[in-house]
Amino acid sequence: MGDTELGLSAAQPEELEPQSSSTASSSLSISSSPSRSLPSSPSSGHYHHQQTPSPSPTHSDGPATSSPPLDVISEGVGELTLVIDPEVAKMACQEVLQKVKFLKGKSEGSGSGSDGGNSTDHTLVNGTVYTEPIKPPKIPGEEDSEALPPGSVKSARRRQRHNPSKQSWLLRLFESKLFDVSMAISYLHNSKEPGVQAYIGNRLFSFRHEEVDFYLPQLLNMYIHMDEDVGDAIKPYVVHRCRQSISFSLQCAWLLGAYSSDMHISTQRHSRGTKLRKLIFSDELKPAAVRARQPLTLTPFCPLPTVAQSLHGHGLGGEHGLSPTKRTHQRSKSDATVSISLSSNLKRTASNPKVESNQDEPVRLAPQREFIKSLMGIGKRLATLPTKEQKTSRLISELSLLNHKLPARVWLPTAAFDHHVVRVPHTQAVVLNSKDKAPYLIYVEVLECEDFETSNVPLRISETRIRSTRSVENLPDCGITADQRAGGFSTVHNYDEDNEAWSVDDIGDLQVELAEFHTNSCDNISQFSVDSITSLDSKEPIFIAAGDIRRRLSEQLAHTPTTFKRDPEDPSAVALKEPWQEKVQRIREGSPYGHIPTWRLLSVIVKCGDDLRQELLASQVLQQLQIIWEQERVPIWIKPYKILVISSDSGMIEPIVNAVSIHQVKKQSQMPLLDYFLQEHGTHTTEAFLTAQRNFVQSCAGYCLICYLLQVKDRHNGNILLDAEGHIIHIDFGFILSSSPRNLGFETSAFKLTSEFVDVMGGLDGDMFNYYKMLMLQGLIAARKHMDKVIQIVEIMQQGSQLPCFHGSSTIRTLKERFHMSLTEEQLQVLVEQMVDGSMRSITTKLYDGFQYLTNGIM
Amino acid sequence: MPYILDNRSTFYTLTLLNAGPSQCRMPKTAMSQVEKKAGLLRRTSSSKKPLKEKVVLMYDEIFAKDDPAKNNSRFWDELFLMKVNLEYLEAKLESLDGDEVMKIKDNINSLFHHCVQALAEEHQIKVVNALQTLCALFRGVHQKNKSASGFDIINMLMGFDKAELRMKDLMESLDSLLCGEGSESLKALCLKLLLCLVTVTDNISQNTILEYVMINSIFEAILQILSDVSTRGQHGYDAVVLLALLVNYRKYESVNPYIVKLSIVDDEPTLDGMGLVVGQALTEYNRQYKDKEEENHGGFFSTLTSMVGSMFIADADEKLSVQTNEAILLALYEAVHLNRNFITVLAQSHPEIDIPTTPITPVLTTPTTPLGTTPPSMDMMNSSELPLDPNLQSSNLLITFLKYSSIVMQDTKDEHRLNSARLCLIILTCITEDQYADAFLHDDNMNFRVNLHRMPMRHRKKAAEKNVPSRPLVCAVLDLMVEFIVTHMMKDFPMDLYMRCVQVIHKLICYQKKCRIRLHYTWRELWSALINLLKFLLSNETVLLAKHNIFHLALLVVNLFNMFITYGDTFLPTSNSYDELYYEIVRMHQIFDNLYCMVLRVSTNTGQWKEPASKVTHSLVNVRAIINHFNPKIESYAAVNHISQLSEDQVLEVVRSNYDTLTLKLQDGLDQFERYSEQPKEAAFFKELVRSISLNVRKNVSLNTLSQDLLLKEFSTIS
Repeated sequence: MGDTELGLSAAQPEELEPQSSSTASSSLSISSSPSRSLPSSPSSGHYHHQQTPSPSPTHSDGPATSSPPLDVISEGVGELTLVIDPEVAKMACQEVLQKVKFLKGKSEGSGSGSDGGNSTDHTLVNGTVYTEPIKPPKIPGEEDSEALPPGSVKSARRRQRHNPSKQSWLLRLFESKLFDVSMAISYLHNSKEPGVQAYIGNRLFSFRHEEVDFYLPQLLNMYIHMDEDVGDAIKPYVVHRCRQSISFSLQCAWLLGAYSSDMHISTQRHSRGTKLRKLIFSDELKPAAVRARQPLTLTPFCPLPTVAQSLHGHGLGGEHGLSPTKRTHQRSKSDATVSISLSSNLKRTASNPKVESNQDEPVRLAPQREFIKSLMGIGKRLATLPTKEQKTSRLISELSLLNHKLPARVWLPTAAFDHHVVRVPHTQAVVLNSKDKAPYLIYVEVLECEDFETSNVPLRISETRIRSTRSVENLPDCGITADQRAGGFSTVHNYDEDNEAWSVDDIGDLQVELAEFHTNSCDNISQFSVDSITSLDSKEPIFIAAGDIRRRLSEQLAHTPTTFKRDPEDPSAVALKEPWQEKVQRIREGSPYGHIPTWRLLSVIVKCGDDLRQELLASQVLQQLQIIWEQERVPIWIKPYKILVISSDSGMIEPIVNAVSIHQVKKQSQMPLLDYFLQEHGTHTTEAFLTAQRNFVQSCAGYCLICYLLQVKDRHNGNILLDAEGHIIHIDFGFILSSSPRNLGFETSAFKLTSEFVDVMGGLDGDMFNYYKMLMLQGLIAARKHMDKVIQIVEIMQQGSQLPCFHGSSTIRTLKERFHMSLTEEQLQVLVEQMVDGSMRSITTKLYDGFQYLTNGIM
Repeated sequence: MPYILDNRSTFYTLTLLNAGPSQCRMPKTAMSQVEKKAGLLRRTSSSKKPLKEKVVLMYDEIFAKDDPAKNNSRFWDELFLMKVNLEYLEAKLESLDGDEVMKIKDNINSLFHHCVQALAEEHQIKVVNALQTLCALFRGVHQKNKSASGFDIINMLMGFDKAELRMKDLMESLDSLLCGEGSESLKALCLKLLLCLVTVTDNISQNTILEYVMINSIFEAILQILSDVSTRGQHGYDAVVLLALLVNYRKYESVNPYIVKLSIVDDEPTLDGMGLVVGQALTEYNRQYKDKEEENHGGFFSTLTSMVGSMFIADADEKLSVQTNEAILLALYEAVHLNRNFITVLAQSHPEIDIPTTPITPVLTTPTTPLGTTPPSMDMMNSSELPLDPNLQSSNLLITFLKYSSIVMQDTKDEHRLNSARLCLIILTCITEDQYADAFLHDDNMNFRVNLHRMPMRHRKKAAEKNVPSRPLVCAVLDLMVEFIVTHMMKDFPMDLYMRCVQVIHKLICYQKKCRIRLHYTWRELWSALINLLKFLLSNETVLLAKHNIFHLALLVVNLFNMFITYGDTFLPTSNSYDELYYEIVRMHQIFDNLYCMVLRVSTNTGQWKEPASKVTHSLVNVRAIINHFNPKIESYAAVNHISQLSEDQVLEVVRSNYDTLTLKLQDGLDQFERYSEQPKEAAFFKELVRSISLNVRKNVSLNTLSQDLLLKEFSTIS
């Protein structure tokens, strides 16, 4: 971005000059305020460029106008003012006032002087309150909606609605430290006030990216499905972020596609969401550095009717740097060139570093899109094969083909750090259990990097390079030496021992090889290992007991972290059972990239043909609850996992490592869960078992609450995982809220609590079981306290959605009811008791009555 | 027909345009073309002897003492416009004896020189003719040489002083033709010429001209052919065979640059390409064999009783012998043996069909294709997909090779098949010695169904093994070894094959022990096969001792058991399998007892076998300890419980409860093995093998494959 701004500002001075004078004349505040950088200073990146949807028209009348009171807002303000530090509040107030004055002045200036067109576009929004500098978002051809002549009907209408007192309270809140993204989203959603919406739209820039990213689905859903004002408020932020990041661009585009899919096909085609998606995919939203060289980005202000029109280029005057038709042409052409140039432009760095640096940008989204597309393509083709075995072997072949195209500037969106994918260890991939679809799990080797957009794509290291690191000559006998063997074999052998053997410096090895060739002996000199020669010297015979060998065999088999037996019908069980660290180590050894320090292993589940939007929603709720519980210090453990929605029927899931489903556990171990715990962690009194048990209880409490609150259904053992530390983790949130599987009535309990679970907790009378119930109560109280944050996530997503979880009209109401705002803590305790009781009973008697009682009696 | 006529007329006009002074003769050449194309036998056309072809007249001029260009300054230009008459030229050269040749040496040198020059001609017809002429020259001169007339071939062809320059030019021209954008047939012809040159002598190392091929390497051109999808398809086979032969030129005596270069190739597409070519050739063999097998069994298989069947099987087997392809196997061996990187190719999974990596040509020139080379259009996407056939098992070179080996090893009576089987086992030895290969052989995630061919035998059903489970590849290797062990216990005992076979097993077990891999394999089958082998050695002691050192083999076998006994804890899959091992040893104790008696007897006598036999006695110490420990226990158990015949479970029970009182002796070096080395042990074998391959290749690069018809058809369309 540094370059970006330089390029921008260098191009701007002339244009800015009239503006600075005009603003100076119209508003004193600008020159008097020392906290603001002057727009004419070229080094300043602290102003919004023309496209900023400045709240100018709406705020133009400042505190003088009034708007009808909004209930929600007043409530919020009332509660929060108590906590706001008066000093801060005062400061904030002044800031706002200044700003409002300034904005007013500006809009007047632009309104009165038609020659000062530029001035309207350059709006200073960054007050001192912002912690981060704001970078100029620019949307070509969108510099319009806010540029409406102030005299238009719309802005007049807006003006009338302003309410001075409310406004100031609200502004105080908005400027306060307490105002966080959650609130911003909430106001954006609830407020009918375009000014407020526009303000929040601006305010989004001041939040940290990660914070806003959490609400990206909500933001985009609002953008798609809510009215124009909200959309206009959100768009600059989205566009700004898209410019900054490829990853954000793609994520937006995918989410936009997914959340637009419920619209009627005819409206969908012309919807805002679709248009923005197209814009992103057309790669118009390149970093400004690239675009700044083209005159069209700095097209002087011209009155454009609407965003939509400008996007299509209809409303643009032909005399401007870029005529509308031209632009459409260009855009459609760029679509085509992207596809054509793919083959030629995307040379890997390995083959030609120059090519990349020159041609990377025009198709910056393309490699990643292709990567995702090929992964999805594999999923689709796998689905056509009848057996698991065929699917698996096919998957492996497909992935080995994919490997030929790696490394490339592609990454896994589910990862938390920047990286490039360098290799897919294809033999490790497994097909997951599913009836008709073919979700599959792949492991992906990546190299961590500074920034996947700018860092160089790693060079391709050919698969064959493993050879040099793994030669027999360098493999010491990892087993036991004769003495060790004779002297009694004490501990279970560490499986890492041969690891060191593998990671030999390959360069030395290669040199030896070359030297050999030059001395004209291509055959490896046959040699016995030094060991055997020396051991021949010792003449005393060494004796070993056959019983020891036999015992070691059975001990080692027992001590091997129980590997699951290979089952062609359930290939994933073995793969998932292997401890993650071991797997990482193993794959690292086998990889030509393994020696690179930034090497990491990631895994991802590719789902094709599944709608992950509900999963995403559930994951968000889980994350939110996790934050709440952490904040309230409730030691509940849950594990939200990353979901990437790619379209309404495809996506990716971040697998939970070191976890297998309870179904797999039971099938493989053929024993009750408690026995499995004892086998894996040790006897009842051991530290390890107790830790595992506590983990189990803490996670169980968390997921029981979640199952209850979200009404998660379809809770069979295949959807509940057990990790190596004893936590349970629920997966598959396909049936939540208002949706449930066909066989309604089967799962009647509030959540799944089997007697096996209770056994692991130490029985109904145990301390751990009480702890479990106590955690549930604490968790529910904590969740209730922050109910709004949870509800909001769901409520916004309901907008325009056809998802089954929103079926019916009472989804949100019943969700709210499950938080039981009206109950006292004692009553809540009774409720928890009853729910637990009901869940227990429903599994013991398989009867419906427990829940019936609960629903009728309590709710 | 009209199509061909069209071509011919194009050719005709083409020659007319370019022929210059000789154009009056051209119609005749074209005429003979027409005759041939029209299906007339060559005999009939040559029966019009009096009308000698112009080209033959010109050859005669060369074989005269005078400079043919003296009268006709455009002689050489014209010569290469004529269709070559290979037979005549070769026959003429052959008919001359040494002195006669020396007399026309200048002319032949001149002919060679002009051939080389013509290769650089833009006109492809000339290039074709020059290439063919060179073929004839090399062959004709060498056939002369065979009668040992003692003159130097190089001198005769090129002249000593010019030889270096000529060959450099020749190799450079060939290189650029092979790598250039030119016609595929031309490239094919270049390869044929090279094959021709490489195989003119029976012993490749005596072919002194190859010294120039060593200096002026065409290795890069061969690699390029292999790395490119389209050229690989058409010329891959020849290229691979050529490479295999070149690598074997004076392998043991001098620095062969091809060996050095081949050993350091690490370009994936190239190695993959080589693997694909070898894989396709082997697959083709497997397919042909299968077809023949079905042909033979199709009609009467169902109706036959086992007796009648066995009568026919001998017959059927003979019919089944499809010509083995040692050349391609040699190429595989050289790649596996010399190139460490090639091992990865073995495991490269690919469907049976060659996949075009990318449909766009510019991309093909860069070996590394970026991601997303396929534009989103559906057609493009489809073309890069694997064929979607659920029945199509994804395979890899190793699987194909294992299947091939299983066929070849079935019958080792015939010399070629014996060589092939030996080479297969040598390749397997190299593979199992390789750490990376072992890693993927044992990779639990790479499971395959490998349908090995099994020899039809009286006592077992053939079609019973359709449902091979999907297992790690090492299981297939072990199966193949077990299969070999049980099927080759015959009077004409293939000792060295057995040695190799047991060594392969040993290497695999060493790896498993080293890396603590617990393979779920039915080890029992292996144990009983090995015990039966010992039994066979014992019962045929006298016959076998006359020819072989059976003690060496016996030692290897007993040491395999020792591996299981002493290190079983590191690689056996279950504790039960260790019990079963003891059960098996105890059950077959008679054989071990007899073996012990035999080796003891031999080692107490003085004689050549004293030393090896005593080694076997030492190695038997643990086996004997086991037998001596458990046998009395089992007998007393039977006596106490009044059971005459103990069941397996009962014996296992006795074994389990009596481990603790048994002490074993730790033996040294059980997990050590001599690494494979080609020299000096195998050198003789490879020399012979290369000789037989050379003969075979020479036969196949016959005049027919050099025939011009196809070429002319093609070039007539090129302007």
